[in-house]
Amino acid sequence: MIGIQLAGNLTQGLILGGVYGMATMGLSLIFGVLGVVNVGHGAFIMIGAFTTLLLFTQLGLSPIIAIPVALVIGMALGFFFYYTVIIRLTEAPELASLLATFAIGTLLEESVKFTIGTEFRGYNWDVGKISLHITTLPMSKIYAFVGSILIALLLYLWFSKTRAGTAVRAVMQDRKGAGVCGVNVNWIYALSFAIGIGLTVTSGVLLTMFIPVGINPYMGGAYTLKAFVIAVLGGLASPYGAFFGGLIFGLIENGTYTLFALVPSLEPFAMTRFLSFLILLLILLIKPTGLLRAK
Amino acid sequence: MAPLLRLENVTKRFGGLVAVDRVSLEIDPGEFIGIVGPNGSGKTTLFNVINGVYFPEEGTIVFDGRDITRLQPYKRAPLGIGRTFQIPRPFASATVRENIAVGAMFGTLSGRVGVDESLEIADQTIERVGLQEHKDKAAGSLTPVEKKLMEIARALAMKPKLLLMDEAMAGMHPNDIDQMVAFIKEIAQEEKIAVVSMVEHIMRAVVGMAERVIVLHQGAKIVDAPTKEALENPKVVEIYLGHPPEGQGC
Amino acid sequence: MSSKIARYYPLIPVYAAYLILFLIGRNVTGMWQLMAMLVFYCAIGQAFNIFLGMTGYVDFGYVAFMGIGTYGMALSISHLYQIEGLGMWVILIGAVLAILMSGALSVAVGAVALRLRGAYFAIATIGVNEGFRFLIEGAKIWGGSEGIIFSGQFTHIFGRKTASLISTTWADIFVILVACLGAFVTLRFMLGKIGYALMALREDEDAAKVMGINVTKYKIIAFITSASLVGLVAAFAWGLKLTYLFPDEIFDISYTVECIIIVLLGGAGTLLGPVAGALIYGLSKYWLTIILPGFQLLIFAPIIIVIVVAFPEGVVGVLKRRVRGTVLEKFIV
Repeated sequence: MIGIQLAGNLTQGLILGGVYGMATMGLSLIFGVLGVVNVGHGAFIMIGAFTTLLLFTQLGLSPIIAIPVALVIGMALGFFFYYTVIIRLTEAPELASLLATFAIGTLLEESVKFTIGTEFRGYNWDVGKISLHITTLPMSKIYAFVGSILIALLLYLWFSKTRAGTAVRAVMQDRKGAGVCGVNVNWIYALSFAIGIGLTVTSGVLLTMFIPVGINPYMGGAYTLKAFVIAVLGGLASPYGAFFGGLIFGLIENGTYTLFALVPSLEPFAMTRFLSFLILLLILLIKPTGLLRAK
Repeated sequence: MAPLLRLENVTKRFGGLVAVDRVSLEIDPGEFIGIVGPNGSGKTTLFNVINGVYFPEEGTIVFDGRDITRLQPYKRAPLGIGRTFQIPRPFASATVRENIAVGAMFGTLSGRVGVDESLEIADQTIERVGLQEHKDKAAGSLTPVEKKLMEIARALAMKPKLLLMDEAMAGMHPNDIDQMVAFIKEIAQEEKIAVVSMVEHIMRAVVGMAERVIVLHQGAKIVDAPTKEALENPKVVEIYLGHPPEGQGC
Repeated sequence: MSSKIARYYPLIPVYAAYLILFLIGRNVTGMWQLMAMLVFYCAIGQAFNIFLGMTGYVDFGYVAFMGIGTYGMALSISHLYQIEGLGMWVILIGAVLAILMSGALSVAVGAVALRLRGAYFAIATIGVNEGFRFLIEGAKIWGGSEGIIFSGQFTHIFGRKTASLISTTWADIFVILVACLGAFVTLRFMLGKIGYALMALREDEDAAKVMGINVTKYKIIAFITSASLVGLVAAFAWGLKLTYLFPDEIFDISYTVECIIIVLLGGAGTLLGPVAGALIYGLSKYWLTIILPGFQLLIFAPIIIVIVVAFPEGVVGVLKRRVRGTVLEKFIV
């Protein structure tokens, strides 16, 4: 019985983990290229979630259409915040960029709060479900999972096949060297930040498939913290590491929840969160470069 | 006379790369030595192994009769190992005087030099190197040459027995180099400091009036001889005249 | 001799500010709460500055020490209230417990996180704060997510009247005293070898090591001092004042951010900075709450961005440069 339940939860965890992974790639990309930890990460996920919600409820558009819309909105926000704020902070001490990205996140949250309100919202995109022996999966979640993998693949192709992607990789390896070799480092920073934010906002679209009534201006905080754990699992500066880190994190989160729930004196939800931060600390202590060194 | 510093078969690897390859050497108190080698020949790594930034995989390092192979860097400095950097690394926001006081405060063996005493030592050292008019300026605002002087003063305030200087003359005007060399020689002789100066090209060592040069090539020591002899050594001639240094491409 | 005393002149503006706040609070009706809030901000800014300002390490989970300090006071009162005749001692025990517990946590965190630098350190400390909170909630330690409500026990010890006096007045006065202590410790550090060591490691940690500085030792000293001080502040300002605690409130990351803003706004690593930062931040927050309730964060966010981008030295950082060579130089560090 518990075996089936565990298998079911792990399947759900894998599906969610893929989306978690995709939702962390932007964070890792931005850290890898600019050396900036985006503490406002979750707020951009929230923007993606609201984009989906509004398109669905106001215009009746499917979340699939929300994906390109979110990407465009995200990249626009990324360019905007890069050229107004981040450009001045790439050489400054960490404190500056940590605080500035936190403030950007707060600005977004508060703006949404004043335009839309703080109540929890959701929408219902019913595209059927499939029953496996161990669990039942709504098709919307499967679409989100497939979407995450496709977006990760597209990013991979962009990195490996395009000039700009190659330049981004060069900057990740060695800023100065890339600059010497004629790469316009500033433009690469701007582009990477925009793509990173674009990916993050897009991931907000996919995450709504997992939170039926969880859309709220302050929903991002929890995802920021999860993204830190996932990013560290994957090596912090590696977008692909982050993707696989997400898969592992999804499995751990759902697997251990099932196990913690067996112990009556524990509160399983909080214990899974505790465990994830314990893992974060252990990895930082033992192998700060991450468990996975996917390039 | 026992050597001040003795390295025996010291090897330091980074992954597959052998940065320092079984290097043995001895340095006597008060000696003036040039370590010569092109970029990537392992000089900086050798310095870092001597002052403890890296621990070697093999070999032993003995300083002043004491095995320091696995000693933390902050414990080595007070034994009498001072260091300057290729690109100066001042404590930028602090004043020149405070920078130098740090050397006196933490870099001497007794460990009991208080703040006031350190500031006095700093004042004396500042006078010695001629930075009086800059002493209350933020170290970050100095010119590159002044920064180098300040680093030397900071190292001297540590009362070192051994001074490791990383490309001390690079980027300096020839006139300044002459002055600087004369100055360092004078102080080193007075205080019996052994000076190991790291240079990229052997001619710099000659200019730097090193008594002896140690030539590194791909991490290994290939020549260790008085400067004059080393200049005639065929290996040295081959390295420095046979193959011009390769340019660094992208 | 006189020059030795002159070294302590920089305390004058700090203590003058605290005294003025106290006097306004006592003598102007309705101002005590506002003054108490300002002094609380001064105290946490003063404490955080010892770590963030002097070492340059960004502890994004700093509020964990405030949280555990609050637990120290709560545990003392809620466990010892039945012992007759303990009276005021229970507060002292609570304060000592707050110092010991936040100090112990800082040793544990420091052992793990202080090996890391930059962004990795910041992320690790966020992890510690969140992990610690979820451990308390998940394993149902100290009441788990339901927290500790100890107002009943508190009244039991002191009686209604005294209990209320302690919560509304003495708790704030204790905070002022800790703020004074914080400023004194900061100046002692600045004048002594510790200050030089911290300055060196903040500017260039590797160079500092090569100069003979045991950087780990000095980082830990600053970390423990800063953590114990802020644990003590919270024990009074949250524990003794509110007589209840909930883990999701006392581990709220926004307090860390407030600490950072105060230190940065005033001038990191300066003595007067946290006071200036706390006054500017506290007053503008209070004022915005009145004129535009609910909009504070929306207005603060862009202000923070502007400060970070255009004004990284902080108010006192700029002031310090301005007064160089004038009489005021002795008073502002």
